[in-house]
Amino acid sequence: MSETVFAQQWLGKATSSRARFLGYLTAVAVIVTLPLVFNDTYWRTNLTVCAINVLLAIGLDFILGYAGQLNLGHSAFYGLGAYVSTLLIVKLAVPFWLAFVAGVAFAGLAGTFLSLFAVRLRGHYLAIASLGFAVIVHQILLNWISLTQGPLGIYGIAPPPALVVDGTVIADFRNLTAFFYLVAGFALLSFLLLSQLVRSPVGETLTAIREDEVSAASLGINAAAWKVFAFGVGSAIAGAAGCFYASFVGTLVPDAFFITEAFNILAMVIVGGMGTLIGPVFGAVLLTILPEVLRGLGDLRLVVYGAALTFVVLFIPGGMAQAANAVGERLWRRRSA
Amino acid sequence: MTTTIVLQQAINGIVLGSLYVLVALGLTLIYGVLVQINFAHADFVTLGAFAAYFFMHLVGLGYIPSIAVALIVGAAMGWLINASIFTPLRRKNNELLPLIATIGVSVMMQNLMLAWFGPIPYAFETEFSRHVIRFAGIFVSWQNVIIIVVSALTIALLYVFMKFTFLGKALRAVSQDRETAGLMGINPNFLIMLTFVIASALAGMGGAMLAPVLVLTPFAGTSVIVKAFAIVIIGGFGNVEGTILAGLIVGLIESYTTQFLNPGLIDIVVFALLLLMLAIRPTGLISERREENV
Repeated sequence: MSETVFAQQWLGKATSSRARFLGYLTAVAVIVTLPLVFNDTYWRTNLTVCAINVLLAIGLDFILGYAGQLNLGHSAFYGLGAYVSTLLIVKLAVPFWLAFVAGVAFAGLAGTFLSLFAVRLRGHYLAIASLGFAVIVHQILLNWISLTQGPLGIYGIAPPPALVVDGTVIADFRNLTAFFYLVAGFALLSFLLLSQLVRSPVGETLTAIREDEVSAASLGINAAAWKVFAFGVGSAIAGAAGCFYASFVGTLVPDAFFITEAFNILAMVIVGGMGTLIGPVFGAVLLTILPEVLRGLGDLRLVVYGAALTFVVLFIPGGMAQAANAVGERLWRRRSA
Repeated sequence: MTTTIVLQQAINGIVLGSLYVLVALGLTLIYGVLVQINFAHADFVTLGAFAAYFFMHLVGLGYIPSIAVALIVGAAMGWLINASIFTPLRRKNNELLPLIATIGVSVMMQNLMLAWFGPIPYAFETEFSRHVIRFAGIFVSWQNVIIIVVSALTIALLYVFMKFTFLGKALRAVSQDRETAGLMGINPNFLIMLTFVIASALAGMGGAMLAPVLVLTPFAGTSVIVKAFAIVIIGGFGNVEGTILAGLIVGLIESYTTQFLNPGLIDIVVFALLLLMLAIRPTGLISERREENV
């Protein structure tokens, strides 16, 4: 048995169910400690933005990395979730969590609809169709002024209502830490859901479709239905991220959901490692924090960001997940030597 | 009166459309040969516009030579992006990686230009903007005449090159089957490089002529490229004739939407047309038969 195979098995073992359980415990511990370590407003705000971006990245990764659909319009579902929930709250005084469910459902349905229409299209055609969809959504948000107030934006969006049990306030979401726990907890749950899906027969079906759609179809797999399903789930998660974003920032402008946002999310998935769920989580955190850390560079910070993205693709095409595997393998070799 | 407006907007639409054609042709050429998308194409348009602006203002030889400068700058960028991104990634044989890498390049270029040129829009006036020809109630500026003449000449030259010269035929051979073309003694790497240079030269030149129409900021190219993508799909990816037709149609849609509906609706109309095309005729206006290997 070659060393590499051995190392891979060792790494494979590390993802056994017990290790996974430990992994989730660690994740919970990290989420709980983070706002205690970073105790100023600036970093706590960034933490919540990270959690929102993690939601966006894992949703897109499910569509792209597992179902193999090149979606360049993820910003559209993010924006739809944000605007639908906010408009329900602001215009119709719908309770927050009901509006949240509506926003998620609307984004999910929009994704399902686009995908139903686009399953016939492959590769770059789907990419441009989804990009076109994102442009249309952005333009509608911008131009339907009587509804969305266009570029003026919607201001003063309230945070989710405080969690009250028996008259005692358990979590007040005007508090940054509580808000972070809410979004990060939701992100962890979504991660759990997706990771169960990916390891279930559904995930294997999706992998089969991604690798070779024709062969999969010859085995009786209805590739189109599964692709639509994956697209719906991924865009619903983006919708949830949008609802959180609106109530977190308190302001909604259409430009937050311009197509460049879709490229940012795509970059998080690629830098993290497409087709692994854990990679995009780290990709989202890195690419959210990196521009903040580089703030000292002024105008040049996004130049460095762009350069970093290009270099990752050129030299570590598998992203952070690939880099971590390579490091793990090397450690294993050293240990066995 | 209405006829005059319709005619006037037809001319405006054709001017705009022929510029879109220049930008979209570059995307189509690259797609035809490599089945890849260069996202930084938009920024070559912007860079071409700035190159023309600064050449015109700092050197002072007038507008026409500055179009040539933009063309050269574009060509150089095309060579550079092919050598630095597409050639190294070709071996990896992954359709996604070059796309993402060029998104990175695009972010880098936009922000470099932002650092150098600042966010305030530049007013690009040429010596031809103010001279207007009046003809039967229709106004045409010399600027627009130059745009139409230069674009038409360029497109015609490109067409002749693709159809009748050896290199053009070799280029089409490479886009049909790169391996077999290689066996016939055609050097695909050289031709791919040539495609990038031609495509990006068109973008740079398009930028120099779009600049007086656009709001010239470091992000100007993005709005153009989004329409160029729509044009490339409506015309059929990799199809030169379809792209020319679709570009003119989109230009006309834009000018008529501005006149009779609302300028805010332009992108919605264009992309609704795109989605409609994808639904009823995904191979584009002029479809090309392509075999698919299973």
